[in-house]
Amino acid sequence: MSMFALIPLLPLFASLALVLGGARWREHGHRVGIPAIGLSFALSVWACVEVIQHGPISISLYRLFQSGSLIIDLGMYIDQLTVLLLLLVTGVSGVVHVYSSNYMIGDPRYNRFFAVIALFTFSMLMLVSSTNLLMLFICWEIMGMCSYLLISHWSERPSACRAATKAFLVNAVADVGLGFGIILTFFTFGTLDIQHIVSQTQSMQEQTINVLEWAGLDLHVYSLTIIPICILIGAMGKSAQMPFHVWLPFAMEAPTPVSALIHAATMVNAGPFLLIRLSPLIVLSPFAMTIIAVVGAVTALFAAIVSLTQSDIKKVLAYSTMSHIGFMIMTCGIGAFVAATFHLLAHGCLKAFLFLSTGNTLRTASSHHSHVDTQHGTPSQAPTSLYAGAFILACLPPFIIFSGPYESVWIAQNFVSAKIGFWIIGLTTVFFTAMYLFQGIISIFQHAPVKPDPTNPLSKAAQPQIFSPAHLLGICIGGGFMAMVLLAAWTWFAQFLTPAFSVTTPRAMEAFEETSPGFGPWIILPLFAAIGGWAYALSRYRRSSHPSAKQSKFMQTLYVTFLNKGYFDELYELYIVQPTLRFANWLWRIVDVRGIDAAIHMIATSSLLFARWLWRVIDVQGIDRAVIGIGQHSIGLSRWLWRVVDVRWLDHNMSEMGKRADAAGELLQEVESRTIQHQLLVMVFWLVLATGILYLLI
Amino acid sequence: MAIFADHMISWMVAIPFVGIVLLALVRDQEWIRRITLGTSITEFGLSLILCLNFDFTQQGLQFVERVAWMPTFHIQYAVGVDGISILLVLLTTLLCPLCVLCSWNSITTRVRAFMSLILLVEGAMIVVFTALDLFLFFMLWELTMIPMYFMIILWGGPNRSAAGIKFVLYSLTGSLLLLVGILGLYLEGGHTYDLLVLSQHTYSPTVQFWLFLALFLAFAIKMPMVPFHTWLPDAHSEAPTAGSVILAGILLKMGGYGFLRFCLPMFPDASAMFAPYILWLSVFAIVYGGYMALAQSDLKKLIAYSSVSHMGFVTLGIFVFNSQGIQGAILQMFNHGLTTGALFISVGQLYDRTHSRAIDDYGGLHKPMPRFVTFFFLFSVAAFGLPGTCNFIGEFLVLVGTSSTSFAMVLLSMGGIVLAAAYMLWMLQKVALGEPNTKAAAVLPDLSKRELMTVIPLAILVLWIGLYPSPLMEMMDASVTNLVEHMATISPQMALISSWP
Repeated sequence: MSMFALIPLLPLFASLALVLGGARWREHGHRVGIPAIGLSFALSVWACVEVIQHGPISISLYRLFQSGSLIIDLGMYIDQLTVLLLLLVTGVSGVVHVYSSNYMIGDPRYNRFFAVIALFTFSMLMLVSSTNLLMLFICWEIMGMCSYLLISHWSERPSACRAATKAFLVNAVADVGLGFGIILTFFTFGTLDIQHIVSQTQSMQEQTINVLEWAGLDLHVYSLTIIPICILIGAMGKSAQMPFHVWLPFAMEAPTPVSALIHAATMVNAGPFLLIRLSPLIVLSPFAMTIIAVVGAVTALFAAIVSLTQSDIKKVLAYSTMSHIGFMIMTCGIGAFVAATFHLLAHGCLKAFLFLSTGNTLRTASSHHSHVDTQHGTPSQAPTSLYAGAFILACLPPFIIFSGPYESVWIAQNFVSAKIGFWIIGLTTVFFTAMYLFQGIISIFQHAPVKPDPTNPLSKAAQPQIFSPAHLLGICIGGGFMAMVLLAAWTWFAQFLTPAFSVTTPRAMEAFEETSPGFGPWIILPLFAAIGGWAYALSRYRRSSHPSAKQSKFMQTLYVTFLNKGYFDELYELYIVQPTLRFANWLWRIVDVRGIDAAIHMIATSSLLFARWLWRVIDVQGIDRAVIGIGQHSIGLSRWLWRVVDVRWLDHNMSEMGKRADAAGELLQEVESRTIQHQLLVMVFWLVLATGILYLLI
Repeated sequence: MAIFADHMISWMVAIPFVGIVLLALVRDQEWIRRITLGTSITEFGLSLILCLNFDFTQQGLQFVERVAWMPTFHIQYAVGVDGISILLVLLTTLLCPLCVLCSWNSITTRVRAFMSLILLVEGAMIVVFTALDLFLFFMLWELTMIPMYFMIILWGGPNRSAAGIKFVLYSLTGSLLLLVGILGLYLEGGHTYDLLVLSQHTYSPTVQFWLFLALFLAFAIKMPMVPFHTWLPDAHSEAPTAGSVILAGILLKMGGYGFLRFCLPMFPDASAMFAPYILWLSVFAIVYGGYMALAQSDLKKLIAYSSVSHMGFVTLGIFVFNSQGIQGAILQMFNHGLTTGALFISVGQLYDRTHSRAIDDYGGLHKPMPRFVTFFFLFSVAAFGLPGTCNFIGEFLVLVGTSSTSFAMVLLSMGGIVLAAAYMLWMLQKVALGEPNTKAAAVLPDLSKRELMTVIPLAILVLWIGLYPSPLMEMMDASVTNLVEHMATISPQMALISSWP
């Protein structure tokens, strides 16, 4: 079974080969990536068969480290949930690889591009199959780094660089939540192994954490309430949920295939996946569930409305992704994890398809500009498959949500009051989703045909090549999922996934199992909402009036607000980014330069001044003057001595002395020799005594 | 072979000095460089042999050598390694050859003097990390300062003399306190400088209080912890590349090593008493260092301030007194040596080309220097602890260790990591991406073979430790467990803290 470890490892090897080979691969970078991903896809299919037949597969890789009781063993756990995501990721990534092998021709960083998308794929594959929360976090971050590299792919553009930095930093802020959640998980469960955590959740329900210990207060909160919220914050970053959504529209600076990869297979899907993976943990806290649902619902509605006002087709799609992921997260929040999984997969396939089609159109119309208003493709290019894809995308989430079992799940989860709110928000979102998708497609393809720009060599040359392989694959996958829906594969799907969720709350599971998925009466509502949105968009297009021309002032303000994406970017720039930078500068100037350094300079200067003062007062004025004084005095003294003693006295007396010496000699002879000996003895005694005292002193 | 096997560490200490003697005999500059490189690589080889022969399962010191040096004053030459110091010895010997390589062409005047200074620092650092005698430790601790001072003032940037004096004044203040602390230990611990004897001795609380304070300040200045950090940006930015690498990569680790070797085992009660303040100071340093780095427009100063932030993680990990925290701190020291050393080498490569350290003078380097940008990018993301690179493991362990003490600290430190991501990415965006800001930046030559040789080993290690840190963790595991248990047995208060899972 360990060969399934190759599913993520093959893209990694491809990436390594491309990085190490560097320029030696010339324009053949795709020849490394495509077979690797293809093989991964084949292995994923095999793994799927294995899982269906024999249940989950676990593979242990190696021990990352062990520190005290913290043991991190890396491994893969492939269950029903993972295997579906493996299929999605390898499938979409494969299509993106094939597509970009044409799309990126002539790019100066062709091989680098393939290396990074292979690494991107690897990290997503590893993330969905990781057994360990830390391993998941590592992949989570590597994915963030890959998105940084891909968004800044055309790094000559300042906007692309800014977008890349922004994407990474917004994610970094959100990842504080996830990282903290992981540390809390270890603190609570004593392990980071996902299977262990999931199986221990029931026994940890009473565990509390004092969240105000730093302030010396007691405020105990259930660990199982805090951990899901922390994890949600991480998921909000990666999946671009409000208020961490600002990076996603800017990520459109990346080449279009990358957008397909980010929106369909990797990156944004990580958030819902994490919530689904940790569902047994999350369902235990109604509070956390409510928060998750609210965050999802708000994002879904907000993003749907914003995308109505955007005129850039890539931005429309970006906000559409946000809206859909919001819907998935809302679905998770109301306990419908299976539905969220299904939505995730379907959305992945369809969004990849939409992006790649858009990429084609943009490529043919003009180089990389993507304004809806400036797109003048030929009407013949609007394939029916695009409409079909958009339609399914619009109807799919409600289709699942309102089909049967979840109604009872909501009731079981005590969501009766919230239910109405979610229904209204859900239906409104569906309405808007249908509307903006239709509007976007119409405005691209139904414009009056304009002759393709003959100066643009890409418009003719690239179009047919791109169309064939990518579209075929896209249509295959899109069609496959259409068929799945039509054949009520949903029923099978729910049953297939059930083992992966076998440990959710017993109450919810009972309710889930009682009612089998089917076509409940409520399923009509979202269909109506979708068709209504569609029709409204069509009628507005027919009238072809500017949306804000005849409307009230309030509606105009509303329109402008949403046109500017709720001013989130400006607010963040104004209230977070600029103040942080200013504060850093201020802090540096005030504390380091004017504070500590100035204090040290002051100490240095003052000690210098003190030293000078000491030198002046004591050395120069005191000792020196004294010494000079002594010198001068001694000169005077010596002069005086000379004058007085030598000249006046000595000389004068010398002659006298000579005379007296004779007299003295005579006197000495009279002193007894015994007296001299006695005096010598006294001198020796004093010397010994002095030495003794000196010795004792020392 | 016995003389070799029994005196491994003495050989390692002797070889740099032999190298210096050899340098004195050679006139040709090229040969001077070659001999230095050869010496330092031999040294690295020896430290690898040391690591291979090191018994990971044993808790105590290994390869111990003792010779009486000044018996009248109870001073001896005693060296040995345990799981903590062996990593720092490895780091020292690893970075020195790279220092020689990165100053190969950039140092053209007084080559012999410069190379001798590198070897002198290397020899002194090895003694500092292996010394088991406090007097020996102190002497060599002082000795490391002198070559650094000369490197700064002889080969440094425009403000070198001010930076050099600042460095020396700060270091001397620290050394003075260290001397006081060591003399205090000598008097209180039974008139010996022997580290092992001193760490078995139990000190009264008052003595612990004062000696801890003296040693703590000494190490905090070296580290540097926040109020004592302003020498670092100046010294780093004015020093030549090799000087910065040695300073950031090795010298700063003396502080952390001091905490682990002296403060924790000898003064457990005082450590526990001061720990809350030190922890908050560390958290403050992490966030503050991040803010400082965000405000810089000079590449080297930015990296220097990021060091302040990273060293905050080290003190944070050490003073939570559990094995995750301490292991994380040691790993963080090692990793910081690698990544910051690598970043300084990268900036040095830019400086060699343009003689500018200002961020605004670059831009769009990905075009003329794709190889350089690849490595620079890797080291930058490693510096802010991107998972999969080495710093992440250290920081994560420290945070896990800290979570047993305070969640608020964990959250604030994570805020520091976000700041780190912000300043590093902001710097990358300005230096590597976009369009070149100056004409000179558009035509810079890419890395030469020698320069590649300098960064490739570091890049491999950064990724290797990030993805497979087990070998390093196993090396220190026994010693750290020993340290944590030792503290737990001495102080009941400590037992309470470190008993957490």
